[in-house]
Amino acid sequence: MDSMDTKEIIEQYGTKSQADLMYEAQLRAKWKFRTNVVISWVAMLIFLLFLFSGINGSFGGFSIKTIHLDFQFIRENLAFVAGGIAQTILISFLSIGLAIILALLTALGRISNIPPIYAICTFYVSLIRGTPLYLQIFFFFLALPQLGIVLPGLWAGVLALGLNYGAYMSEIFRAGLSSVSKGQREAALAIGMTSAQMMGRIVVPQALRFAIPPIGNEFIAMLKDSALVSATGFVHELMWRSTKVGRASFRNLEALVMAAIFYWAMTLIFSTVQGQMETRMSKGDR
Amino acid sequence: MASIIRISNLDKFFGRLQVLKQISLEVEPKEVVCLIGRSGSGKSTLLRCINFLEEPSGGIIEVDGLQVKAGGKGKQHRQLVHEVRLKTGMVFQEFNLFPHMSVVENVMEGPVTVKKMDRGKAVKIAEMNLERVGMSEKRDEYPNRLSGGQKQRIAIARALAMEPKVMLFDEPTSALDPELIGEVLAVMKKLAEDGTTMLVVTHEMGFARDVSDRVLVLSEGVLVEEGDPEQIFNNPKDRRTQALIERYRMDRQSPNPN
Repeated sequence: MDSMDTKEIIEQYGTKSQADLMYEAQLRAKWKFRTNVVISWVAMLIFLLFLFSGINGSFGGFSIKTIHLDFQFIRENLAFVAGGIAQTILISFLSIGLAIILALLTALGRISNIPPIYAICTFYVSLIRGTPLYLQIFFFFLALPQLGIVLPGLWAGVLALGLNYGAYMSEIFRAGLSSVSKGQREAALAIGMTSAQMMGRIVVPQALRFAIPPIGNEFIAMLKDSALVSATGFVHELMWRSTKVGRASFRNLEALVMAAIFYWAMTLIFSTVQGQMETRMSKGDR
Repeated sequence: MASIIRISNLDKFFGRLQVLKQISLEVEPKEVVCLIGRSGSGKSTLLRCINFLEEPSGGIIEVDGLQVKAGGKGKQHRQLVHEVRLKTGMVFQEFNLFPHMSVVENVMEGPVTVKKMDRGKAVKIAEMNLERVGMSEKRDEYPNRLSGGQKQRIAIARALAMEPKVMLFDEPTSALDPELIGEVLAVMKKLAEDGTTMLVVTHEMGFARDVSDRVLVLSEGVLVEEGDPEQIFNNPKDRRTQALIERYRMDRQSPNPN
């Protein structure tokens, strides 16, 4: 190609290659999509705010009546309801901690070849998955005292949630354990490790790493399921506080809207954290 | 001197299929023995029976004076197997490095966890063995950032760190890209020259011919021939060995090495 041609091409298309142009077009399409999503989200938020704006009147022949919220009530009770956030987070952390331990033990038990251990683990999973979480929570708060066992409110809640999530999460750890290849086990045995050392040093650490992103998801689900504990009236977390003030002054709408905003905000924050953790893990140095 | 490995009448069944038939062999101290044979001839299984990654069905395995009968059960048997594993170092086809540990941690893992050595001393041993395989520079890397050849050299260092009496190699270059095979074979050759006792299952006929002291030929679970490399490669007696060597020569002459 002679110099004249090259000059013409540059004038017409710039100095970018075909690949650059295609890449830029892709970026533009992606950006456009994202912008549209954000705009739609904002529109829906505005609509939601409008719905709760309390506007009441007629505009050019249309009469509009939106939901009226008692902001006086919200201001007065905001601090009390928000005070439940710490309890909600605490109970979720403690419960997920218990659930992780139970889930790991159960997953290990389910790959065991000792019949009683295998039986105990499958029995536990079957029992918990076969009954409602709501029932299990009441069992620890209301049924146990009948047998003379009275647990402090928080611990009864943690026990119920932890046992329940442990059963479901054992599946995560089972997948994690089976993600560790047979070669890893053989390499550990070949350098002289005992079975216990092999599990503790090689298999379980790799299974845990595999399980971290799904555990994050479970924690976020737990944040919301912890609201069920409020039904018993012994744990003063977010949901309990909101229903208490709502019922007392017949302002349930305002009270529940407050709680919903707090739950939603917590979920958004922890989802972001979890998402970042996931990207970091998938890059995976370790 | 007493043999490091002595196998007597080893049988191995997978269900009804007999993959090893009455195998008997010995490996002397400082000897390099190569085990060759077609795929499916049972050579990997034979190697894996020595450190009981496969439980032999019959026969006796003796490693450095420690005798273990096949088919044993219970605590005493497990203890014997454990001791055999301490006396043998194993290198796998697929490397099997621990991905959640850095290179130096991989090599230290045996001494620290199994031998309960203190970390300072284990680090020194790990560094020394990484030096031996030429991987000192990658000390703090994680395995998934390394090439297959580098991984395999580290796997060799990991096995050496336990100071085994004999090194078992299970097709150490079969999972490698052709251009990476050389660096691993060079390390193994150096070990051989340093007087390491080695039993090597391999398809690398060049290595078997040039480095080993003795070559064993396995075919369909039977040891069909045994001799020094000179004799096996230039004057094979058994017709199955002849076929194996013939095919190797044909492959070498063909333009496509694969």
